[in-house]
Amino acid sequence: MTDVELARKNGEEHLKSKISAIQKTISYEETAYHLPISYALTGIAVHEPKTAAEVYAKTGNNPLVASECLLAETTAASGKESEPYTGFISDTVIRKLGYSLVDGSILGLALVIGKPESAGSAAAICRELQEKYMLTFLAGEVVPVLSNAGVKLGLDYRLIPLGSTPTYGIHFVDIIARVAMMFGGVTPGDTHRLLTYAAERAKAIVIVFPGLTEEEIAFADGMRVLGFPILSLGGYEGGSWIPALVETVVSRGMEEKGIRVNVTAIPIPMGCSPAFEGKSIRKEEMYVEFGGGRSPAFELLRMRQPGEIEDGKVTVIGPEIESLKEGSANPLGIIIEVAGKTMKKDYEPVLERRIHNFVNYGEGSWHVAQRDLIWVRLSKEAVAKGVRIEHIGKLLASKFRMDFPQLLDAVAVTLITDNAKVLEAKKEAEKVYDERDARIKGMRDNDVSTYYSCTLCQTFAPNHVCVITPERTALCGAISWLDGKIAFEMSPAGANQPIEKGAVINAQNGEFEGVNRFVKKASHGEIERCSLYGVMEYPMTCCGCFEAIALMLPEVNGIMVVNREFKGVTPSGMSFSTLAGTIGGGAQTPGFAGISKNYVLSEKFLQGEGGIERLVWMPSQLKEELKVRLEKRLLEAGHTGLFDKIADETTATTIEDLTVFLERVQHPALTMKPLV
Amino acid sequence: MAYTVSFDWTSSIGEVVLGATKSEGGTRKISYRIGGGSTLPFLESLPSSPAPLIAFEVCDNPVFWSPIIRNYCGDLVNDVTGWAKTADSAYGADMVRLYLTSTRLRDFSDIPSVKKTVEAVLSATALPLIIEGSNEPKIDSEVFQACGEAGQGERLLLGTAEAGRYRSIAAAALAYNHSVLAQSPIDINLAKQLNILLREIGVQRDHIIIDPYTGALGYGFEYSYSAMERIRFSALKGDTDLAMPMICSAADSLTIKEVRDAEPALQDEIAVGWELFTGIAAATAGAEIICVRHPKTIPLLKAAFADMKKNPLSAMGVQ
Repeated sequence: MTDVELARKNGEEHLKSKISAIQKTISYEETAYHLPISYALTGIAVHEPKTAAEVYAKTGNNPLVASECLLAETTAASGKESEPYTGFISDTVIRKLGYSLVDGSILGLALVIGKPESAGSAAAICRELQEKYMLTFLAGEVVPVLSNAGVKLGLDYRLIPLGSTPTYGIHFVDIIARVAMMFGGVTPGDTHRLLTYAAERAKAIVIVFPGLTEEEIAFADGMRVLGFPILSLGGYEGGSWIPALVETVVSRGMEEKGIRVNVTAIPIPMGCSPAFEGKSIRKEEMYVEFGGGRSPAFELLRMRQPGEIEDGKVTVIGPEIESLKEGSANPLGIIIEVAGKTMKKDYEPVLERRIHNFVNYGEGSWHVAQRDLIWVRLSKEAVAKGVRIEHIGKLLASKFRMDFPQLLDAVAVTLITDNAKVLEAKKEAEKVYDERDARIKGMRDNDVSTYYSCTLCQTFAPNHVCVITPERTALCGAISWLDGKIAFEMSPAGANQPIEKGAVINAQNGEFEGVNRFVKKASHGEIERCSLYGVMEYPMTCCGCFEAIALMLPEVNGIMVVNREFKGVTPSGMSFSTLAGTIGGGAQTPGFAGISKNYVLSEKFLQGEGGIERLVWMPSQLKEELKVRLEKRLLEAGHTGLFDKIADETTATTIEDLTVFLERVQHPALTMKPLV
Repeated sequence: MAYTVSFDWTSSIGEVVLGATKSEGGTRKISYRIGGGSTLPFLESLPSSPAPLIAFEVCDNPVFWSPIIRNYCGDLVNDVTGWAKTADSAYGADMVRLYLTSTRLRDFSDIPSVKKTVEAVLSATALPLIIEGSNEPKIDSEVFQACGEAGQGERLLLGTAEAGRYRSIAAAALAYNHSVLAQSPIDINLAKQLNILLREIGVQRDHIIIDPYTGALGYGFEYSYSAMERIRFSALKGDTDLAMPMICSAADSLTIKEVRDAEPALQDEIAVGWELFTGIAAATAGAEIICVRHPKTIPLLKAAFADMKKNPLSAMGVQ
């Protein structure tokens, strides 16, 4: 065992004395970047011993600079090593390599140095790196070990033998320094930007076999400054190197650096596409079913720590498809475990909802409802083609990875078909559902400082800006605050942007400085002010997607709501479609607001107008749809009996009828502060 | 009546350099610095502000080209270098836009030919070049690598980057110092998003030209116009992610019903008319480069631009 810390210290001392002993000229050929590492770090072109010493001192005796100067001296004096070693790589080739990196045809870079104990383990690591679109550089005894084992080396094979000793690994760093200067806009001498680029943009990992000398350890450890994980395969202890096993070193390193392989094909014997989403599986077409009230079933998505789960792993606990009777209803538990650097616990329910879409993408699988109410079917046709329960797991694991590449690094799926185990796990799941409900329910606009925008509809409503808060979903009803947050994480330049709400201008109307600022900018200067909880003054703009419209009825001092499905004429004298045509297109229309149906249940609804007691009319169908939740909400707010005082088209179709009705039931709106 | 054309703009359009002369490290006879406007097009108070550039579009496999142009240009269409040369010598274009249509053939794999074509066109014409690479994600990487390399030093404009596929073009632009043509489907927000994506990958603002996508006049051009107008307003109001020059291609004009079904004797005239007025409208909306396919459109557009420059306000109907 070599102690990394101790070896590094000794190695740095050796390097120091060697630097002061440099006598000859130091240079590389075919580059405009001099000694690239030294040049990138300090902006100084090193060509002779004096400047080498100067740069070395200036960088705080950096072992990378020392190794670069020493190797450049050797190269200038005795020329490049013979084939297959490449030695220093020219700018022209770097341009091509950099191209592949930006282009995405190479996912990242790996450096493998040291002496592998067996050719087999080195070959296995290199094969895995090739399969995962990594460009691999080799230095030291790993090169002859691989070529003796018949592994083909060269740029075409994405395995580049830099040199015969691990020291040649310094070219790995000079390549990255040049890529940073050519592609990353890093100016020579801007150390800070270089280090940021290396840490954040250069997707590089270092794999170390045993047998490094003290100087080589100093060099390898020096790469940690650049943010490259150093993975050790044994022989070293101490320091900050990550111990790893041959079998998992590549995935460990890639995970550490956030390098993701895109999944493109799903290995299952059925088609998988949104095209199949609308197709249901009728009873006659069904081979087996799960849940739907006929058997216990549930689904649950949980977040795990990276490293806790194995990506792509699918486990089936209980009988597989061949042991299930045709036409039977069986228990099922779908448990999805996900991990990712940017994944948050808050995202669990939003991601869990995607199980529904993904299972329906399968050509012979069907899914409805959610949580412990799910109902899943597999078709006879699919089972005849060889689809098993396991494949539903594969489909889910792959789709989650494909659709959320920024968010998820690993997805594992467990499918339970054993009755007792389903019941047991279901109890756990129910606990999680309850916790989530409490959390979401507990989420208030006042608890967060950031809201989210949605400008998806600006394609046709040029100046429309939706402001989404925990208590006010987008007016289309499709995007909640959490959805906005996730959408922003996944696509930081997309249509959902964070809005710092800033100082309060008017708490009752929900007007905030930061929101106004954002809305003004996002509406291209058209909209100056926006009150989130009001209809009368500066209401939010409307695109055209609103599920419902809230509008003032000055004659009765109240607000009515009409939903898109209602075809008749409302007491305002207009139908939904006439109203929609009047207020849509991204305009701000005082007295009118586009809203989602569920927003009626929010405590913020009509807050600016004095509260929900302003609500005087809704179509009966919408009343019915919201009934249970709305009555509960009214009760909580202390408005007993208000639900029945809200008119609908059966009690009032004109403003005159409405006035009569409201007076008869003594609707509270009549005695509130005048609306206008 | 006094008419103010400053509109209290706070910002101006960024500049992009296209083409490189010998002294700039290339082999073009001219290079253009486009953009820089500080108000709406044709309202610049400086008479010296440049008129939009006119790019003539050619391709290396005319199977994919309009029969109208094939008939008009004759055998030239089978000789892309000769065609590109004529664009300069006879047609009077400011730039040449080369479409590598040969790469659209099924299972195209002859990447070395791409490089040869680009090199041949570069030596046939001394005008700055716009190059349209492949249409197939599978070969993008190799095609754009070849284009970028072949044009090293020439400051090409490489197209077309879209939100779903921009990496290869960005890589070629970064590696060989070219500019990127960034196209979004008639949508200001998508245009901005793509510019941000390009910036994040490392392409500098002065290496991006926005293609808002141009529908033919009467076939959706009003959407393009509105998107362009809003892009320009935002830019002048200070949104640097949209403050890039714009490019429009009137190519859709050649496929619309009125042109396709025109009487053979009138077809050229109608095609030219449609290209001309789409081009004028695009320039009015703010395009700095107008691309056309019919040679006869070029002198007419030039004359129109010269007139509009001479007396901008009256050209736009303002007294």
